[in-house]
Amino acid sequence: MNRRVFLVLPVVLPVVLHICFAADPLPSAESILDRYVQVTGGKQAYEKRKSEIAHGTVEFPALGIKGSMTRYAAEPDKYYYTVDIQAIGKMETGVIGPIAWENSAILGPRLKTGVERAEALRESSLSATVDWRKLYPKVENQGIETIDGEECFKVVMTPAEGQPVIGYYQKKSGLQVKLTTVASTQMGDVPVEMIASDYKNFGGILEPAKVVQKAGPQEFSMTIERVEVNPAIPPETFALPAEVRKLVDKSEAK
Amino acid sequence: MTARRLIPLFAAALSAFGQASTQLDLDSFEKVWTTIRDKHWQVKPGGLDWLAIRDEYRPRVKSAASHDEARAVMQEMLGRLKQSHFAIIPATLYSVVDDDGEGPGTSGIDTRVLDGHAVVTSVDPGSPADKQGVRPGWQIERTRGIDLAPLIEQGRSNPAVHELQLTRAVLARLSGPIGGTLEATFLDASNKTVTLTLGLTAPRGTLSAFGNLPAQHVWFENKRLGTTAYVRFNLFLDLPRVMASFQQTIDNCKECDGLIVDLRGNPGGIGGMAMGMAGFLVDKPNQLLGTMYLRDSTLKFVVNPRADIFSGPVAVLVDGCSASTSEIFAGGLKDLGRARVFGTPTAAAALPSAFERLPNGDGFQYAVANYVSEGGQPLEGLGVTPDVRVELTRTALLAGHDPVVDAALDWIRRSKKP
Repeated sequence: MNRRVFLVLPVVLPVVLHICFAADPLPSAESILDRYVQVTGGKQAYEKRKSEIAHGTVEFPALGIKGSMTRYAAEPDKYYYTVDIQAIGKMETGVIGPIAWENSAILGPRLKTGVERAEALRESSLSATVDWRKLYPKVENQGIETIDGEECFKVVMTPAEGQPVIGYYQKKSGLQVKLTTVASTQMGDVPVEMIASDYKNFGGILEPAKVVQKAGPQEFSMTIERVEVNPAIPPETFALPAEVRKLVDKSEAK
Repeated sequence: MTARRLIPLFAAALSAFGQASTQLDLDSFEKVWTTIRDKHWQVKPGGLDWLAIRDEYRPRVKSAASHDEARAVMQEMLGRLKQSHFAIIPATLYSVVDDDGEGPGTSGIDTRVLDGHAVVTSVDPGSPADKQGVRPGWQIERTRGIDLAPLIEQGRSNPAVHELQLTRAVLARLSGPIGGTLEATFLDASNKTVTLTLGLTAPRGTLSAFGNLPAQHVWFENKRLGTTAYVRFNLFLDLPRVMASFQQTIDNCKECDGLIVDLRGNPGGIGGMAMGMAGFLVDKPNQLLGTMYLRDSTLKFVVNPRADIFSGPVAVLVDGCSASTSEIFAGGLKDLGRARVFGTPTAAAALPSAFERLPNGDGFQYAVANYVSEGGQPLEGLGVTPDVRVELTRTALLAGHDPVVDAALDWIRRSKKP
């Protein structure tokens, strides 16, 4: 559910939730997820999206660090996300076919494996939102919770591989406003909470222009400023960086 | 990717606002208190009743006669935690040029307290001290007409004052405004008293900013000691430049018989850089330098082996002024059996921390996690114990030797494959 926007840099948020008991029968999780596709543009709008380039900014507000981000995606399986922060340098992550990788000035290159790789492949697809049935074999509506004064359906989506993802969809608008999960990272499993807001129409699809993520004591926010829809993206954009290529070659040689 | 940063320990000192405590100080107190309540890795921070701590200290901040006093009360509250990386940083420290007495200006001298005396351990080439003939091994007796001996004696007799704090206190006596001068009295190589007026210039290195952390000068040095590569840098900051320089050292070192990473005096910086640098030295995947424990999660400090690594012997040099990320790097590589550590025990101050600005303009550093090195030992309070304990001596420095480097070189030579 647009998780490719969210899970690049995991984080967490303490939001107080008030559990309410709905008087009406709960809608099915399937209908809530289908409604989300509908209210954010509809299946056709998603199917028309073959590639995109999103431009925006990132910020670690508590640390006083800001930077820029660019996200490239192309059907069926190409994804490249880069964040440039002056004091930290460039951080890149990408997917091409079955390879999911990461590279940064600080930690160097690496190939993602196991659950982390599965999550990366799942989240990188442009059709992830509309193809939720393929990605999450089990979905369940667990009730209604109130977030920022709005009643939301709490939908638990369980993938074939990896931890369940809990999406919160406003009863009134159908929009997803919050998402929690435990992200599988190289450093371990990290509880992540993301707050989505400021939905904007980017080329026929509504997308949260602002996402705030919190993990532990640190907060990270991302703001999307514009999205190029169906641009021609040169194939080299998705090519593995030389250092990552070396790791792939090394791994294949073994 | 987020909670991978560690910031160096800051022993705050300094300067004065002359005004009374204000609502901003109270707001700052609330921010400090609630941040620790919400973000400290222990639900009961430092084992303390944190609510009672608020009841005890808030009235004192409210009645403080000045910003300085309010800050001191907050600092005292943080001291109750008995943990490193909790500090209030005066707003004035954020100014790159501080012109009231102490300041960033330096004569180019680095020093350590050896056998109860401040001894010059290095002199930056081309610095005012170098030009005036100051040499390693000289003993610093007085600065600005004030004897250093009482300061050193007080510091050494107080168990709460660690070598890192004592060294910083001495270095503060050697600093001043850029463009100013400093009168200092030394005992030279023949124990003759020499008084010099030294110019004060900008510190060595490039000024580097990192978010809310005050901008700091960062330098990186690499050279060859015969067939051995040697690198030294003063902070784990200025990430793009320092990481690139480290990589370049490794790339140019394929035929070296060993590598010395000198972290003496390095108080730390961005924690992730320890993992990043270790990636140039470790060839097996999924090895850990250690583990960081936050309130709601556990993060493993995993090393990503680079495609091209240095596989020869690695010596890491440390001393009591090596802290935080330096300890993570040295301790982790030691625990992995990848490096041999030489020198004296480290500062034992290795808690991962973050920096924020307070409503009154001061900075606030707070630890967010505990860190345990791969060998199972917490670095906080224990530090890294070198494999080979080697102490600097004035005699060796005067003779032009660095016994710690010599010991590392000797080990590397003996490690040569037949």
